[in-house]
Amino acid sequence: MGNVLVLAEHRQGALRDISFEMLAVAPGLAGNMGGEAVVLLIGSGMDEMAKKIAGYGVKVMVVDDPLFENFNAEKYQKVLSALIDDLKPALLMTGHTAQGVDFMPALAVEKKMPLVTEAIGLEYEGDVLKVTRQLYSGKVNATVAFKPADTYLVTFREGAVEAPESSAGADVEKIESPLKEDIPYRKFVEYIEAEVGDVDITQSDILIAIGRGLKEDKNLPVIEELAAAIKADVAGSRAATDAGWIPHDRQVGTSGKTVKPKLYIAMGISGAFQHLAGMKGAKTVVAINKDPEAPIFTVADYAIVDDMFKVVPKLAEKLKELKG
Amino acid sequence: MKTLVCIKYVPDTSEAEVKVNPDGISVDDSRFSFDINDSDNYAVEESVLIKEAQGGEVTVFSIGPKKSDVMIRMAMAKGCDQAVRVEDDRIAGHDPLMVAKTLAGAIKGHEFDLIMTGCVAVDDGHMATGAALAEELGVNHATMVKKVEVGDGKVTVHRELEGGMLESVEVELPAVLTIQTGINEPRYAPIRGIRQAQKKELKVVSLDDIGVDPDSVGSDASQVVIEKLYIPEVESTAEFLEGEPEEKAEKLASILVKGGLV
Amino acid sequence: MSTEIQTFTEKYDLLGCIQCGRCTGGCPVTVRANLNVRQFVYDAYNEEKLDELARLAEIWDCTACHTCAVRCPKGLKPLEVLIGLRSMIVESGKVEPTVRDALQSVLLEGNPWEKSRAARSDWMEGLDVKIAEPGVEVENLFFVCCTIAYDPRVQAIAKNMVRLLNKAGIDYAFLPEEESCCGSEVFTLGEEGLFEMLVEDNTEYLNEYSAKRIVTLSPHCFTTYKTHYPDLKTPILHYTQLLVELLHEGKLTWKGDLQKRIVYHDPCYLGKQGDVYDEPRELLKSIPGVEVVEFDRSRERSLCCEGGGGKMWVESESKKERLADTRIKDAKDLQADIVAVACPFCVMTLEDSMKGLGFEEEMRVAEIMELLGEHIEA
Repeated sequence: MGNVLVLAEHRQGALRDISFEMLAVAPGLAGNMGGEAVVLLIGSGMDEMAKKIAGYGVKVMVVDDPLFENFNAEKYQKVLSALIDDLKPALLMTGHTAQGVDFMPALAVEKKMPLVTEAIGLEYEGDVLKVTRQLYSGKVNATVAFKPADTYLVTFREGAVEAPESSAGADVEKIESPLKEDIPYRKFVEYIEAEVGDVDITQSDILIAIGRGLKEDKNLPVIEELAAAIKADVAGSRAATDAGWIPHDRQVGTSGKTVKPKLYIAMGISGAFQHLAGMKGAKTVVAINKDPEAPIFTVADYAIVDDMFKVVPKLAEKLKELKG
Repeated sequence: MKTLVCIKYVPDTSEAEVKVNPDGISVDDSRFSFDINDSDNYAVEESVLIKEAQGGEVTVFSIGPKKSDVMIRMAMAKGCDQAVRVEDDRIAGHDPLMVAKTLAGAIKGHEFDLIMTGCVAVDDGHMATGAALAEELGVNHATMVKKVEVGDGKVTVHRELEGGMLESVEVELPAVLTIQTGINEPRYAPIRGIRQAQKKELKVVSLDDIGVDPDSVGSDASQVVIEKLYIPEVESTAEFLEGEPEEKAEKLASILVKGGLV
Repeated sequence: MSTEIQTFTEKYDLLGCIQCGRCTGGCPVTVRANLNVRQFVYDAYNEEKLDELARLAEIWDCTACHTCAVRCPKGLKPLEVLIGLRSMIVESGKVEPTVRDALQSVLLEGNPWEKSRAARSDWMEGLDVKIAEPGVEVENLFFVCCTIAYDPRVQAIAKNMVRLLNKAGIDYAFLPEEESCCGSEVFTLGEEGLFEMLVEDNTEYLNEYSAKRIVTLSPHCFTTYKTHYPDLKTPILHYTQLLVELLHEGKLTWKGDLQKRIVYHDPCYLGKQGDVYDEPRELLKSIPGVEVVEFDRSRERSLCCEGGGGKMWVESESKKERLADTRIKDAKDLQADIVAVACPFCVMTLEDSMKGLGFEEEMRVAEIMELLGEHIEA
């Protein structure tokens, strides 16, 4: 068997959390597969990042070349294709992120290798690699088994596991880039920050987040009244921003903002995983939802199963009264 | 501009209780309502917007049963010009790589500048078909697209990244784009439009018709197997507040105030 | 289809209008929104102006209460000019997302609430309900209505009806989950094609049943079937009509004593459009102890609650007082304990206002079936 190659992810000079999270899984799995975990970094000016991730006790291989100043799926695919031939890993894993999903499926087709995306767990037993992933927005779990292959490809969900503590440093090995010249058919242009509005929800102490359960924007005033009563900012799920109920810069979730308020009140939000990942830093979570099976209740400290509109007016009134 | 748009007919499980069938590897979909996959709906709208702005034509591709024709007719009512539906139960639908290979086979012989599809299907959530399809066809791609600007022989797209960030990328045509929800506001397909769309061509084809070897896209060809489906245990430490709605509100208010949370 | 060769002017008989202004004069929405229906009838005569008119936001303020049609001395239906303008927007596909989703849900699932068809009969769970079968004779065939079937708040209307029918030993049956939307709101939202399809499909579906009459629980279904389904072979009744009949036959008796002052709100679709005014009042008065009082604006002059005309899916831009608020305040002035209605939409709008105004302690909004249900003898 071979090694588990973990392609780390970084953007604008910083490693992304998923890079460390995968290290909670990869070394143990590699041991079971009869190899070791190796982190692969592709980028330009990677010394600092390489040192940092090597501090987790995992060997790091670095492709450091100005051609990789910014992420480019096509270039990544070329490098990975060549390195797979070279290193023959048993498993290549990377984040199930806007980067990971942009090249892994194409790489799988090119190399005729099996791919399972958005893993939340990986196990190797009886010579079979098994992946746990979710269907129907987290309502069903699936165990997916790979048929035997030389190299398996997996994208791993962000926030599914906690990153381990850093430990003794490990070696960093620079390898030559298999890509010798730039490609003309796909070009990175620039990063664009989502517009920052009047409220920066990443800095809020108290957030009231609304979801699909708001139903329509005429229901906003009752939420705003509650927010005013407890000096909270109003944020929301993707459904709420798609519907235009709240500005896009107030979207909580992996495609929006990661928030860490002291109090997070989720109303009419079922708790899609992408949303939960964006609010996992909240200290206290209150969830109000009609559906007792809503995943949001799995992360809540206080839960109310009911129609939010039956609860909110009284809640606002009572809070005003108690706070005098 | 010749655009192809690939769409999928999926169950809406946002409110429904999901039950695993006794076989342990499928779910009971008898009580689900079905509709076009959410992000595919945005892809249809984007393709029609581009056609309205630039001229050209849009062809729908889908793999699915006869009952999904209503979804295809709705896409046609919105402005898509013709459609190809692959119906063949030998396709290993659980593996996006097999789906991509089938779509590529169906697309072969059709000229195109742009292919659009949703970035994720809400049922199995792979986020893989679009990029895999691009590779099958040997064209460029970009995933998670929230804005498309068509230029001369290329498109400039904004890709949605984590953390409220976008990445602007230039991609030469032909290309596959996977579309993220929120890129536009999908229009309504009026019934009269759907009726008129009955006149548009909807070709139903099997794997044999499109020259795809069933053995190359079936479960034997797929290198992954669904072993088991199960309902995840809800690990909740939440304190559930009980009573009438007003009582629940009062309890919560006093918890928040006494706990110094507000 | 004939509509395609008819001009807008012909279709709505615009030349028949004498511009007397009785329509706008009686329109309840004028106090709330910038809607002048007479002006629309006048302007729509100019076919070149139609596109511009269709883009005006106020065409969506009409609640289809039919006051204008009731008052028109020429027998025109001015509100349908507004619906005609709405349909131009619908045909372009550029409707509000809420309207889009409701209409699409009717097409795909047979209800505007984006619920699965398979769940349509879930309200029956735990009840001993007789289900109708095509071809099997039944005296009273019940049509539930999408809102009553799916909204837990108003499901009580259907549940109490079942209990009452079982108690009274009447020959009845409810339609199974294949029952589809009557199209009342589809019609008023201006989705003409979908409405035509519903009329065709529902006529065929309902005609397969051998019923003496079809009893509807919602006045919206009642009026829609009566007005827009010419080929339906079975007579249509609103449930209040059936129950008054049973009352006269001595088949309904009530227990208890309801010492309450009740004001009855005439739903537009039951009164103005269905011409059913007395039966609901008679039912209320049959409950022991009840005192029934009247709004100043009652019967033909009843104030609309703004629940119809597709307004469940279109919010008015106006920030002026909701008509339901006005209605609840009027009820308060009458010192009514209960505002009784005979329509699921009226329950939703009036109860919403009652709560919003903070009258929950001293007032209650109830559908007549809820009140009756509380007084069925065990």
